[in-house]
Amino acid sequence: MSSTAPQRFSRLPRIAEAAVARARLTVVPRRRTRAPRVPFVTLVSVILLGGVVGLLLFNTSMQQASFAATALEEQATDLSAREQTLQIELERLRDPQRVAEAAKRQGLVIPAAPAFLDLDTGRITGEVQPATRESDTPIATPPPTRPAELDPEPIHRTARQPNHARGGVADRGDRQQTPTLGEQREHTRDDRRRR
Amino acid sequence: MRPSGNGRQRRRGSLRGSPVFRLRVGLLLIAMVFSLFAARLVQLQGVDPDSYAQMAADEGTVDVVLPATRGDILDRNGEPLADSVDGLMVVADPKMTAEQAPEIARFLSKKLDIDYFDTLQRLRVPDSRFQYLARQVPATLAKKAVQEAEERGFEGLSTRRDPVREYPARDVAANIVGFLGTPRKNGAARALAGLEDTFNSFLAGRDGRARYRVGAGNRIPLGDATVTEAVDGEDLTTTLDRDLQWYAQRVLRQTVLGARADSGHAVIMDSRTGELLTVADYPTYDASNPYEYDDDLYKAAALTNVYEPGSVEKVLTLSSLIDAGKVTNRTRFEVPGVLVKDRPIHDYWEHGPIRLTLAGILAKSSNIGTVLAGDHFRRGQLRSYLTAFGLGKRTGIGIGGESKGRLPKGDQWTPQTEDRIDFGQGLAVNAVQMAAAVNTIANGGVRIDPSIIKGSASMDDGTEVGTDHVRRHRVISEEAARQTTAMMERVIDPEAGVAPGAAVPGYRVAGKTGTAQRVGSACGCYDGTFTVSFAGFAPADDPRFTIYVVVHNPRNGGGGGSVAGPAFSKLMGYTLRRYGVPPTGTRPSRIPVEW
Repeated sequence: MSSTAPQRFSRLPRIAEAAVARARLTVVPRRRTRAPRVPFVTLVSVILLGGVVGLLLFNTSMQQASFAATALEEQATDLSAREQTLQIELERLRDPQRVAEAAKRQGLVIPAAPAFLDLDTGRITGEVQPATRESDTPIATPPPTRPAELDPEPIHRTARQPNHARGGVADRGDRQQTPTLGEQREHTRDDRRRR
Repeated sequence: MRPSGNGRQRRRGSLRGSPVFRLRVGLLLIAMVFSLFAARLVQLQGVDPDSYAQMAADEGTVDVVLPATRGDILDRNGEPLADSVDGLMVVADPKMTAEQAPEIARFLSKKLDIDYFDTLQRLRVPDSRFQYLARQVPATLAKKAVQEAEERGFEGLSTRRDPVREYPARDVAANIVGFLGTPRKNGAARALAGLEDTFNSFLAGRDGRARYRVGAGNRIPLGDATVTEAVDGEDLTTTLDRDLQWYAQRVLRQTVLGARADSGHAVIMDSRTGELLTVADYPTYDASNPYEYDDDLYKAAALTNVYEPGSVEKVLTLSSLIDAGKVTNRTRFEVPGVLVKDRPIHDYWEHGPIRLTLAGILAKSSNIGTVLAGDHFRRGQLRSYLTAFGLGKRTGIGIGGESKGRLPKGDQWTPQTEDRIDFGQGLAVNAVQMAAAVNTIANGGVRIDPSIIKGSASMDDGTEVGTDHVRRHRVISEEAARQTTAMMERVIDPEAGVAPGAAVPGYRVAGKTGTAQRVGSACGCYDGTFTVSFAGFAPADDPRFTIYVVVHNPRNGGGGGSVAGPAFSKLMGYTLRRYGVPPTGTRPSRIPVEW
C-alpha cells in the first residue's frame, strides 16, 4: 500500500506537493532524549547546600571577626590607657623642678654669667666667671609659713635674780663633775670622730 | 443498662445542641477573639506606635558617646603644660554593695588608695543606686580593681569615663595655663582659670556618638550602626618656654622672699617678635593640686594686677620727648634740689642744684629733671604717646580678667597730673603692658603687640589671637629709640647710674629702675609702701630680649636697683645663654650724664 500511494497521487499534482510529501516522510522515530536528571538535581542541591553552608560559614566568620574586633578593641583601649599612664609618668619625671633638684644633688649649679666657646677658633666670648654655690639660685620650695596667730612675737621679760641660785649652781656643778656612763661614751666617740 | 444508655444519649444530644447553633456560637467566639486582636492592633499601631518601635529597637542597641580628647597646652618647644589622660571613675550601686560593704571597702581602699570609712559609708547609702567611690582614676588601675573585685564576687561596682587633666610641670606657668576642676557627672570639663577657661571650646573638641546593635556583648555584624566620629580638641601652643618660665618663677620667688615683699611679676619677651617667653607671678599655685591654695591665686596677676609703674615710665616720657624733637639725650638741665609746683617734687636722694644731661636725668632717675624736661610737651602730647605705647588698653593676649590699667583722660589730665605721670605716678599699668611698652624702645621704636599664643587660636568669645594676628606700629623714630637706649645703658653703669646690680657680665645692657609709691587697698591713698621694678633689654646694640621684673612692697628697704636689678641680671644671663646669644663685643655707651 505504501508503495502504490505515491503513484496514485502523482497524477494529480497539488499545491506544495513536495512539501506535503516531505512532511509526510518526516515522521521521525520517537527519540528518547532522556536528559540525565541526577546531575541537575545534584547541581541544584549542591548550589543550595553550598549557598546555605556558605552563608552560615560567612555569618560565623563575621561573628568570629566581631568577637575578635571586640576583644582587640578592648585590648587597644587598655594599651592606649597604659601608654598614657606611662606618658604621664615620663612627663612627671621631666618636670623641670625635679630635673633641677636631681642636678643640684649631683653638685651642678646655674652659672652666674653666660660665656661662649667657639669650637673652631677656640676663642671665648663673654666674661668667664666661676659658677659657685653662692651665685646659685635656691630652687627648693620654701616651707609653708606659719600663720601669725601661731607665731607670736617672743615676749621678753627681765628675769629676777633667783633666791636659791646657789643651790642651782651647786647642782649643775655636781653633774659636770660626775658625768654618767652614757655621756662618757658619747664623749669618747665624739673625740674619735674628730680625730 | 438501657435506661442508663438512653439517658447518656439524651444528655449528649442536649449538650451539643444543633450544629447550626454550634457554628454560630463558634463564629461568635472567633469574632470576639479577633476583635480583641484588632483592638490590640489598633492600640499598638494607632496609639503611639513610635514608642513601641523605639522599645523594640532599643532592645540590644548600644548608644555610646565617643569622647573627644581635649587638646594639650604646649610650650613653644612642644613640652606639655597641660595634657589629657583617659581616666575612669569607680561608682557603686549601694543596693547591691550594702551587704558586703566592709569587704568591698577594705579591698578598694587598698587598691585605689581611698579612705576606708568614707567608702564604707558610701557603699551603704540607703535608697541610692549611684555613689562615687573614686574619681579620675587612671583607666588601667580602675579597670583592674573592678575586675578583681568581680572575681572575688563583689557585685555592684562599675566604672565610667572621667577624663584626667595632667599638669606635669605643676606650678610652672599655672598662672597662665589655669586648670580644670573635677569634671561634671557626664565627664564634661569644668574649666576654672587661665587659658583652659578662655580657650575652653577650642581645646574641648566635640564628642561623637555611635549606635549599634549588640548580641551577647559583641557587635552584630551588618546590624544597624550609625557613627558620628568625635572631633578632638586642638592643641594650644603657647609662646612660653617651660624651662625659662620655671627658672623665672624660682628667681622671682627668691627675690620676693629675700626682700620680704608681698608679691612680684617677671615678664620675659622676645624683643623682635613680641612673644612672651615667660609670664611669672609670685605667689602662685600648683595647677595639679589647686585646691590646696587660696582661690585668689587662680589668676595671671601680671595681667590682672595694676600698679603705678614709677620711674620705669620715665623711659617712655623721655623717648617721646626726643621723638617730638624737643630734646636730645645730651640736652643740659639745671636740676634744683626741690621743684615747687602745686606740691613740692623731690628726688629720692638729697641734692642741691646739680647739672645733669637728659641721660643723667634718666641714669640717676631724677624726678625733678624729668618734670622739667616734660614741660616741653604740648598739652595732651604725652598722653597720645603713652596711648601709642599701649598704656590704658588691654594687651588682649588671651587671658581672661585682664585689667586695662588707668591712663587719666579728659578733665582728669591736668598739668599737675601730667607732672606726676612724667615720672610714672598717677597712672596704672599691668606688667605685660609695661614690658611691651619698654620693648618698643628695644625694637627700634616700633611697638609689637605682645602675644602668648603661637599661630592662631580662637577664644570662646570668638576673638582670634596669637602671633599671626600681631600688629606693629611705629611709636617713636628709630633715632629716638637709639638715643633712649644709650641713656638706658648709663643706668647700669657703676658710676653714672643707679643699678649696677642689673649688669650681665660681658653684655651691653640697657635698663631702667623703678620705685613707685603704692596705693594701699585700705585707704585708696599712698600708704608708704613701694613697688620696685626693673625693665631692660640686652644686648643693648642688638636687643634680643626684654625683661621686666616687679616686686610689690619689699620690706628690706631696697629699691628697683637693689631688689629687682639682680633678678633681672640673673634672668637675662640665663635667657641669653639658653638662646645662645653671644655678647656683641662693642663698647657700651659713654654718653655724659653731667656737665
